[in-house]
Amino acid sequence: MPKHPSSGQYAIVGLGVVAGQQPDRSERMIASEAARLAIADAGLTTRDIDGAIDLRRTGGGGDRASYVDAYSRMLGLNNCFYFVVGRGGALAGLGIATALSFLDRGIAKYICLMGAVTDWSQAQESRKAGHRGMAHAEKAGYWGKALGDLRAVSHHSWMAARHMAVYGTTSRQLGAISVAERAWACKNPEAKMYGRPMTIEDHQNSQVVADPYHLLDLSLVSDGGIAFILTTADRAKDRPKPPVYVLGQGFGEVSADLWWEKKNFTHMAVPRAKEQAFGQAGLTLDDVDCCEFYDCFTAEVLFQLEDYGFCKKGEGGPFVESGAIGPGGSIPVNTGGGLLSCYHLGDLTGMAESIRQLRGEAGEHQINDCNVVLTTGHGGELISPGMCSIHTGTLLGRHQ
Amino acid sequence: MSNESNVIISIEPWRKPLPNIDKDNEAFFEGLKQHKFLLWRCKKCGANYWPKAFCQNHENEPFAANMDWAESSGRGKIFAFNRHQMVFHPGFKDEVPYCYALIELDEGPLVSSTLVGDRLPKDVYDVGQKVEVVYEDHLVEGFTLPRFRIVD
Repeated sequence: MPKHPSSGQYAIVGLGVVAGQQPDRSERMIASEAARLAIADAGLTTRDIDGAIDLRRTGGGGDRASYVDAYSRMLGLNNCFYFVVGRGGALAGLGIATALSFLDRGIAKYICLMGAVTDWSQAQESRKAGHRGMAHAEKAGYWGKALGDLRAVSHHSWMAARHMAVYGTTSRQLGAISVAERAWACKNPEAKMYGRPMTIEDHQNSQVVADPYHLLDLSLVSDGGIAFILTTADRAKDRPKPPVYVLGQGFGEVSADLWWEKKNFTHMAVPRAKEQAFGQAGLTLDDVDCCEFYDCFTAEVLFQLEDYGFCKKGEGGPFVESGAIGPGGSIPVNTGGGLLSCYHLGDLTGMAESIRQLRGEAGEHQINDCNVVLTTGHGGELISPGMCSIHTGTLLGRHQ
Repeated sequence: MSNESNVIISIEPWRKPLPNIDKDNEAFFEGLKQHKFLLWRCKKCGANYWPKAFCQNHENEPFAANMDWAESSGRGKIFAFNRHQMVFHPGFKDEVPYCYALIELDEGPLVSSTLVGDRLPKDVYDVGQKVEVVYEDHLVEGFTLPRFRIVD
């Protein structure tokens, strides 16, 4: 399949990760540190960076940047423009698409893309007032808040419930996703759940949060920051680390149909994103060595496996139960532990893991001969009851 | 609380998040107070929308002038639901577990609220039951919330 002229012409050359609980650090200091690490990893200095993008949740998270928390100012990126990109947990994919237009026209040479959160620290504070989970993240304005629609799980669990009702999927099958990701996390010292193996019985015995979802169907609440440096392929060759090439990108939107389209509760907006990304890259599903899927909850992984075509629609349950996505499986998914077991920094979690896999830096969780990774993002405002969400699919490669 | 067939009257102070009433939905909430479940309907083609939107079937007059609120049946079917067991907000401490359901209205749109009454679905596979709206009047604060109950 012929690829698009832009495929492989841009590359990631630096990665910076600040992981783990950061109770004594502000979001902007975490952000600045992640950016500093990424710039150093690329063998560059702050003077080389001529574009800075802040990857922020909008919609569900509702976070807003202001002049005081521009990490570019904190870090002294003086030769630089700065702005905010993001929609829900879809951050890195959108950031790359945006950055390419600056690199393409020679407006910038090296762009730093960074996202940071202090969700864990904030959750500890709101817990003192009797709240559980990310009380700060679901802003006023949602239809269901007065009715008890208080957290992402309050409405995302409908997707699991509907898939179960339509296709006969079981809680144990959803749990198999959680177990597989935990097995990956136990190979990743950076993961929150490293050293804490779990079984399907642990999943079944974990607290029911919003039936059908148990606690172990939910992603983690985290602090941290991830930054990466994007440049053109010709510049990338001179950097110290192996370049990670952007091979293709695609975007889908559930409101492409109708935003209360009932299919949204058993499908994600994958088809158009898949066609665009694989079309640009000139690749097929068989070329993908591992997937870093956005996994805010277990059902989102199931939907993406089906919607990308790793198994048939409705057959995701038996597919994951067979061990297909865990270590040693036919299609490794969320090889660092994902949002479920590593940490939740939006789609930056999967982006960082993709970069490490393609550089061969993933240690014990390294996939053999990893050449192509599919990494996705998901998110958006909820105009309840419609799941109004974007899907981003990015194909990254070790070779141009 | 007193309880008639499709009206619940509460004189308890509200200790939960307030409903978000804004320019787009104030007529809808006003309808609830009058025990009417309004949908946003296209006068040209009869398509129903909720929340407020432009009609997607044809060109709209400026500012959706072809649209208006119209009373609906207040009836539908359970499309999917969950059963909340964790207390996220202190105001819901005495309420868990509660069934929070997506209702597919007979007119088409999906709307969400909790299920009330003695008849509740037994598990997440148990969907498709007919439901009708129940108006929950909060007299202290002066707003009405829609709930749904399973009917024959």
